[in-house]
Amino acid sequence: MTGKKVLIADDEIHIIHVVAIKLRNNGYEVIAANNGAEAYELACSEHPDIVVTDYQMPFVTGIELIEKLRKNEATMHIPTILLTARSFAITQEMQDSLGVQECLSKPFSPKELLKTIEDILYQRAVAVKN
Amino acid sequence: MVMASLCIAALTGLFHSGIGVGWRNHLVAWRLIACCIGAVGVIFLGLAYHRLAGTVASIARQLSGDPAGLMDLQAIERAAQAVQTRLREGQEALRTLETELTDLRIRSQLADRQKQHTEAIIYSLRDAVVVVDEADRLLMANAAAARLFGFDPEQARHRPLAESINPGHEDFVQLIQSSRQSATEATRREMQFARPEGPHTFDTIVSCVFERNQVSGVVAVLHDITREKEVSQMKNDFVSHVSHELKTPLASITAYSEMLADGEADDEQTRKEFYEIIQTQAQRLNRLIEDILNVSRIESGLIKVQKEPVSLTILIEQQMQMIRGFAEEKKITVVGQNPIVYDQVLADKDMISQVIVNLLSNAVKYTPPGGTVRIKTEVNETEEVVRVTVTDTGVGIPADEVAHVFDKFYRVRANNKQASGTGLGLNLVKQIVEKVHDGRVFVTSEVGVGSTFGFELPLAAAELAGTAR
Repeated sequence: MTGKKVLIADDEIHIIHVVAIKLRNNGYEVIAANNGAEAYELACSEHPDIVVTDYQMPFVTGIELIEKLRKNEATMHIPTILLTARSFAITQEMQDSLGVQECLSKPFSPKELLKTIEDILYQRAVAVKN
Repeated sequence: MVMASLCIAALTGLFHSGIGVGWRNHLVAWRLIACCIGAVGVIFLGLAYHRLAGTVASIARQLSGDPAGLMDLQAIERAAQAVQTRLREGQEALRTLETELTDLRIRSQLADRQKQHTEAIIYSLRDAVVVVDEADRLLMANAAAARLFGFDPEQARHRPLAESINPGHEDFVQLIQSSRQSATEATRREMQFARPEGPHTFDTIVSCVFERNQVSGVVAVLHDITREKEVSQMKNDFVSHVSHELKTPLASITAYSEMLADGEADDEQTRKEFYEIIQTQAQRLNRLIEDILNVSRIESGLIKVQKEPVSLTILIEQQMQMIRGFAEEKKITVVGQNPIVYDQVLADKDMISQVIVNLLSNAVKYTPPGGTVRIKTEVNETEEVVRVTVTDTGVGIPADEVAHVFDKFYRVRANNKQASGTGLGLNLVKQIVEKVHDGRVFVTSEVGVGSTFGFELPLAAAELAGTAR
């Protein structure tokens, strides 16, 4: 599966860097933002296929970003992955109410993140087909 | 009759002696008992007098029945002995009564003192204490309770609690009522009351007092746990922040290591870049752990301090070099001072370097892109101190939070989203400056304009001469 666009939002430049390399090596197009506000703007203008976001970021948090995405008709269906060191603070109920597809804990495995993205996009593709 | 009435009065006093004013009714009862004993004494003396009078009358009758004047000397002698015996008995009874009365007087005084002592203890308690009777009428409230609930304990005494208490405390009145109605021995509940300085949380314990299996009153003790709650919250926040801060560099280390192991770095340059990132993230992790440990070591007095004469200007220059990369990433200009002043202090070089870098990195963290951070030192010859200030054009700190910024684990709520942190950096600055170097820290700030953080240290010359403030 290639050519899909992934938006990464994280205030840690090294996390964006490493995820971008992993995804680009596997045929994905990567766009990145280092805070929630910038990520929202990119999501609206670039229409990514999936968003991978950190929780704690300056100005607009990952949770607030997802809430904003869900409120906008143009972005409400974009699948999201939370990649956070605060996964303990994310309950299943929270995840369901936000419509978050997956929550991965930091430290994380780039391989596992790639697989999660592939699975979600595959399920999305199957759902669209049916 | 008199005696019975007095006894009933005394028993009634004892019966009503219970909570709150029990000691007072006990006192009344003791006094009434003393009266009873006095009355018994009077009656006893009356009887003795009556018997003595009988004896004298009998002698008189015998004398008058002996017209010949022939007296029965033996009878007179017996009568005299009887009179003497009665008198001795009477005197003995009087002495006993006097001793008992003295004893009662002493007990009464002791009870008075004990009452004052108990009252002083209850009134001086920092916890609020409220005592009501079986009809929820106020029997006693100490000064803390009066302050909390806004009533005058003397005026409110014997009045229903619900009428005396300020609005906003209805929950407390209900708790007292429900405890009494359910006859619960002890109920514990956290209650929040509004205070002028903000809401306060109280650990409230309400206990029923029983007399003959009936609730005769309720005692409530309210302990202010606002500070404990704040500390607990700060500790929870700290654990949460620290785990986030530790996991962030760890996440980079783990991810880049995996990429290297999986052969995702194609060329030597990329591999080198990955190794360097792993190294810098490991150093970051180490610094954080050192910060946590340093705060702990300074607090426990276990840190090894190596003081030597050092120039603050030189230390500042070194730390500015360290922070420049981070500042440039955020497009922030860091400005030092041009003239080098003689600002030698007697200090632990590593610790003061940490103070400077913490103040600089904080200023950069909370200053929006395009801003400026200035650092300068001034020597105050009169006060024999060196003053270092770090001024930024950052977001500033709300006035009500400025006083807390040096507290351990404290993070300015309004600026939480600006940057992550543990709430340890400024506390470490304060500990190093004030606890280790006998200096002082200070801060001024204006929201939207910026902040100035700084510290003062005694000049080395002054400290060596022992003339520092």
